Amino acid sequence: MTASVVRTQGAPRSAAKGDRSPRGTGRRRRRLQASGLPWILPALVLGIGLIYYCIGYTGYISLLNWDGLSPEPEWVALHNYVRIFQDPVFWKAVSHTIVFFIVTFGLQTVFGLVFAVMMHSKIKLGVLYKVIVFVPVVLAPAITAPVFRQLFAANGQFNWLLEHIGLGFLAQPWIGQESTALPVIMVITIWQWTGLTFVLYFAAMSQIDQSMIEAARIDGAGNLRTLISIIWPSVRGTTVALAILSAIGALKTFDVPWLVTVAGPNNATQFLGTYIYQTTIQLAHAGYGAALSVILLVVALGMAIIFQTAGRERSEKSTIRKGAR
Amino acid sequence: MHLPFRSKKALRAAAVAAMVGMTALGLTACSSGSNQGSSGSATKGTINWWGWTPTNSQEAKDFIAQFNKKYPDIKVNFKLIDITSYDATIRAALASSAGPDLFDLQPGARVQQFGPYAEDMTPVAKAALGSDWKSKIAPIAISGMTLKGKLTALPVGSTYAGMLWINSQLFDKYGLKPPTTLNEWKKDCQVFKQNGVGCFVQGAAQEGFDQDTLQSIANSIQPGLWTKASQGKAKWNDPVIVKTLTIWKDLFDSGIMQAGALGAQQYPDANNQFLTGKYAMIMMGTWYTQYATENAMNEAISAAGVAGAKTFPILPIAFPDVAGKGHVSEMYGDADYGLAVASKSKNRAAAETFAKWIATTKEGQQVIANRLDTLPTLKGVKPDFAQIKFVDPNLQSTPVNDLLKKVGSVTEPREALLSADVQNAILAAAQSVAGGSASPQQAADTLEKAAQAAANQ
Repeated sequence: MTASVVRTQGAPRSAAKGDRSPRGTGRRRRRLQASGLPWILPALVLGIGLIYYCIGYTGYISLLNWDGLSPEPEWVALHNYVRIFQDPVFWKAVSHTIVFFIVTFGLQTVFGLVFAVMMHSKIKLGVLYKVIVFVPVVLAPAITAPVFRQLFAANGQFNWLLEHIGLGFLAQPWIGQESTALPVIMVITIWQWTGLTFVLYFAAMSQIDQSMIEAARIDGAGNLRTLISIIWPSVRGTTVALAILSAIGALKTFDVPWLVTVAGPNNATQFLGTYIYQTTIQLAHAGYGAALSVILLVVALGMAIIFQTAGRERSEKSTIRKGAR
Repeated sequence: MHLPFRSKKALRAAAVAAMVGMTALGLTACSSGSNQGSSGSATKGTINWWGWTPTNSQEAKDFIAQFNKKYPDIKVNFKLIDITSYDATIRAALASSAGPDLFDLQPGARVQQFGPYAEDMTPVAKAALGSDWKSKIAPIAISGMTLKGKLTALPVGSTYAGMLWINSQLFDKYGLKPPTTLNEWKKDCQVFKQNGVGCFVQGAAQEGFDQDTLQSIANSIQPGLWTKASQGKAKWNDPVIVKTLTIWKDLFDSGIMQAGALGAQQYPDANNQFLTGKYAMIMMGTWYTQYATENAMNEAISAAGVAGAKTFPILPIAFPDVAGKGHVSEMYGDADYGLAVASKSKNRAAAETFAKWIATTKEGQQVIANRLDTLPTLKGVKPDFAQIKFVDPNLQSTPVNDLLKKVGSVTEPREALLSADVQNAILAAAQSVAGGSASPQQAADTLEKAAQAAANQ
């Protein structure tokens, strides 16, 4: 804790190192200084008092069979965790999270990168395109969800459009069947978050040394080669950051699947976040919900560490390679 | 900035004290802090009433205005909470000391979960109606609100389901008769579809309404079996339930159920589709009687977002004999909602006054009756049809009156016997069968396992 770094005001440096002053001079008041403690104390108390306390409390609840209100919860030790690993809905939620992360991160990265490159090409009406791509990021899912419910309903506008362009045979009850509900949720998420990916890549590309791109051009590199060999490696840090954000976002996914499909049909769009809510609030199994939350926390931390470590190792390897050259 | 401390010890002590203080503060704020002190005045004060119903806030205002004619010094604040977020909101509120004085309760999962945090209303009912108070209230309403011998809420109204509502204009337009069997239902739907009109609409993503359809199907196969399964006296994988799920699947495969039903909610999706004339039939209960009136239907159509839409007469019909066994499906019902007084309330006496007025007095129950939203639970109170204007009185008056007479003899519970876990398992079974991911037998087996697990918890 930085706040514990204290020094005797006005005393010789040796005294500050621990030397006792002679009695005569020891009467002088030692005034210890706490540099920064008052500044960080509120955040520290809030951080430990609320966040970490809540995490600890959730861990405790996860060992109970409790409805969240009853004054007499039952201690069940690790029984909730055992049940979770035997729960098919949990595994469904996990598999949806993995598929959701891979698809949304992959497509958002491709679209974001391509948009960013295009916007750096000084195309006409570039500002307008930037606004169009970024606007979904600032729209609340609570506002957009009813629109998507209507859009992808069996008699919604998407099917209407398909029928009017001669693709009526593709019309589906998109959010009313297990096979298409999850892809719809992924499409909405990609639509919503590609703008953020684009902005981050756009900013990262501004940092690339233009002379490097010009040198590549002189060496005969085309657009694709420049994108793959110069731009893509140069924005690796951004990609790693986006991967971490997407992974944690996938683990926390709640609003879109809940508001559009209520995690259904038949758990087809069930995620850990929606399952925790359903279990804790609707079914009143606060202990089981808390155990799910603890697992979610552990997985989120694990993923963040893996991505960070992988990103760091790659940067170190690339630095070593450059040094060897 | 440097703040002086006399010693490291003092510094540490200050930090520890601050942490302990803040944590204690947090714990105090989070603790339940039961308050069983004074119950306040019974004739004046301010009470907060939270509920998911009446969904029409004008209805609640009418109740309060009528109440205030007798009790002008009790101010009632009604807070409408959407039913989908009611459990989450009320759970946190009841755990704190800042919750409502009065809150809505419904038989089944809600009485089981939140009933323990309500006052026992038996003394209030006795004081209002005498020692034979039970004989003066619809029995189905009392049993649903009772938890381990405690009357958790005074039942305000009761609702019944097990029938369909039809748009009679659409039936007349295409020369169709309301279906009485599964085959007739299928044929009607074919005609509607050929004419570009939706046939039957259901929000199959919501468990309560799926249960209604399933219970009606089960009743047409073997009356009473569904209730036995709800009571634990029959298994959920009984052949009758398997057959129920088979017929349920047929509703989807034969095109009776609208495409995409599994992704639709009964409210607002199916309700709006029916009230805007896009579908000819819907599975709703007696709470839909209100839309037989000109005013309520106008309000509902406007709420559905349709400007300038015309009202049309709706009629209740019996659920078709889908099993072909000659059983006209029995209706079933519960208390629609009751008013519970929060144990932690500081205004319990005033809250009891309001609950008592609305649930046990003729004036209060008459206001309820005339709305036709929920049916009065106090025996002898009936809607005053002189004040109620139907969309088409000639067409609707007789069937609506017949319906209201019929429900007086209903004894089969609707949701009162089902826990949240079992309801969730029923929804999973219904959706997995309709979606084709499980056979009726597999789904029924899974449902039985889930019900057993819930019973053992």
